[in-house]
Amino acid sequence: MIKTSNLSYAYENGQEFTFPDIDLDPGDHLLVIGPSGVGKTTLLYLMAGLLAPLDGTISIAGTDLHSLALNTLNKFRGEHIGLIFQQYHFIKSLNVSDNLRLRQSFPKSANDKKRRLELAERLGLADHLHKKVTALSQGQQQRLSIALGLIHRPKIVFADEPTSNLDDLNCVKVIELLKEEAEICKSSLLIITHDMRVMSHFQNQVVL
Amino acid sequence: MKLSYLAYRNMISKPLNLILSLMLLLLSVSLVTFVLQLSQQLGGQLNKNIAPFDMVVGAKGSPLQLVLSSVLHVDVPTGNIKLEEAKTLQKHPFVQIAIPVSYGDNYKGFRILGTEPGYLDHYNTQLSQGKLYKRSFEVVAGSNVARLLDLKVGDQFVSSHGLAASDVDVHDDHPFIITGILEPSGTVVDQLLITNLESIWDAHDHAEDDHKEEGGDHDEGERHEEDHDHEGDHEHEDKEITSLLVKFKNPLGMVQLPRFINENTSMQAALPSFEVQRLMGLLGSGVQTINGIALAILLVSGLSIFISLLRTIRERRQELALLRTYGLGTGQLLGLALLEGLFLALIGFVLGWVLGRLGLWAVSLYTQKSYGYALEILGPDTTESVLFGLIIVLAVIATLLASLSIFKLNVAKTLSDA
Repeated sequence: MIKTSNLSYAYENGQEFTFPDIDLDPGDHLLVIGPSGVGKTTLLYLMAGLLAPLDGTISIAGTDLHSLALNTLNKFRGEHIGLIFQQYHFIKSLNVSDNLRLRQSFPKSANDKKRRLELAERLGLADHLHKKVTALSQGQQQRLSIALGLIHRPKIVFADEPTSNLDDLNCVKVIELLKEEAEICKSSLLIITHDMRVMSHFQNQVVL
Repeated sequence: MKLSYLAYRNMISKPLNLILSLMLLLLSVSLVTFVLQLSQQLGGQLNKNIAPFDMVVGAKGSPLQLVLSSVLHVDVPTGNIKLEEAKTLQKHPFVQIAIPVSYGDNYKGFRILGTEPGYLDHYNTQLSQGKLYKRSFEVVAGSNVARLLDLKVGDQFVSSHGLAASDVDVHDDHPFIITGILEPSGTVVDQLLITNLESIWDAHDHAEDDHKEEGGDHDEGERHEEDHDHEGDHEHEDKEITSLLVKFKNPLGMVQLPRFINENTSMQAALPSFEVQRLMGLLGSGVQTINGIALAILLVSGLSIFISLLRTIRERRQELALLRTYGLGTGQLLGLALLEGLFLALIGFVLGWVLGRLGLWAVSLYTQKSYGYALEILGPDTTESVLFGLIIVLAVIATLLASLSIFKLNVAKTLSDA
């Protein structure tokens, strides 16, 4: 599903990162683990096409990401990639339901209400669909963030430190939830973390 | 979900910002449309009313007052002139027609105008009901008078002295009878009760008799009327009228006659078109001042939209970056900002326009009551379309300037910044 080779990136301040090659089959899960400061988030943004690599290639579902024109890349990302951020990002002027609807609407216009309700139901958000996103609890925001990464049935989901703010119990819950939802959508799942608690839950691991 | 819905939600998510931006826009739009409509309609009304006559001759005094009182019927007359003296003008070779008018009484605030039937022809008015007055104390009512006082053919009323509605000094010995109602003409005629000259004279002759004899009865009144019939010509010699409305046969009359009258007679001649132009000139500088102020407010409102959008776009940088990960391109983000700016401009213009018209309506109620002139509430006109275009352009420029940062948006960095 995703295949990188000889990937490297350089920041303007001269900081350079080189990354090991990643090869993930469709529907498989992968944990990328490493301490802070080794460029984990950089790798994630490279794979999501939000940063351009200094060298090397990334292909998702056979498409070489950085050979695409900017607008095609935007559309490709919107359609095939799901992102779950370390900090939650929502559109604050929209309620929970509209945030999900917005994610379904671009780049292809789709208004799959059934999918929204079903996902909200499974993630325990069904009773909060008409709340403001700012009125949600921390845990609800976390689950909404997961829902936004998966609602459009992406080919691959990238999750950046999804467990860093959680206690042990919730850490396990969120990991299970992520794996379960990814399986239901038949999406590949790639989690980037420094959280050692997550290690035991994944067979495929890459250490940075 | 459409981008427009998101733009709308974004717009209303900061109500205080929204209200401030809207208020300024609304204020400037309502001010401009209100003042433009007022001056246009005033000018239009005035020109329509003075169009039938080239010159008005009355007693010495202010020429503007003479025009306002005798042609537009909003002011009190300058005095009276001798009918005989005025009549000599009718024979002047430059004069096509000269119509005497006489007034000084009212019924419930509406002027009773004594004149010749030719007056009505000049305003192109038709009877909608009944027939024209033939004898004294027969009256045709202007459409507004009939409507507002609910008058019908055959109704009788008594006039009172003066031009303002009052119950004192009522000529209750000589009731007027309505013989006809006029079609609406959109001119001053709609506000008048029109009768013949003799009715005005008789009402006043009789009023004077009343005062002298402390209680003349009806028989005497009828006797007087017969006197008029028999000695009409003789009576006319020392009759007075308020003014004479003149239409020239030859444009040279415009140049020569007013000077001749003003220098050689005890009467005054005034040119309605000239006086109205002078009046509009005076108003025009006021209109320009207000338009200048409105334009300044418009620029400030553009600035406020710019600052408000600049701030919200900065505040929403992370949301814009998030939208980029959803697959939206820079153009779509720009479109989102533009939609928000355009919504603001559109709502501001529409509300401002409505407010301007409400203001016009309020003023119309007042002018209708005080002067008998109603203002029309019209749809948007060309100037207002231009104003609308101007506001849209202003909003687009303000939005684009405020959106420049969208082009430089670093998605990865913005999303990582907490």
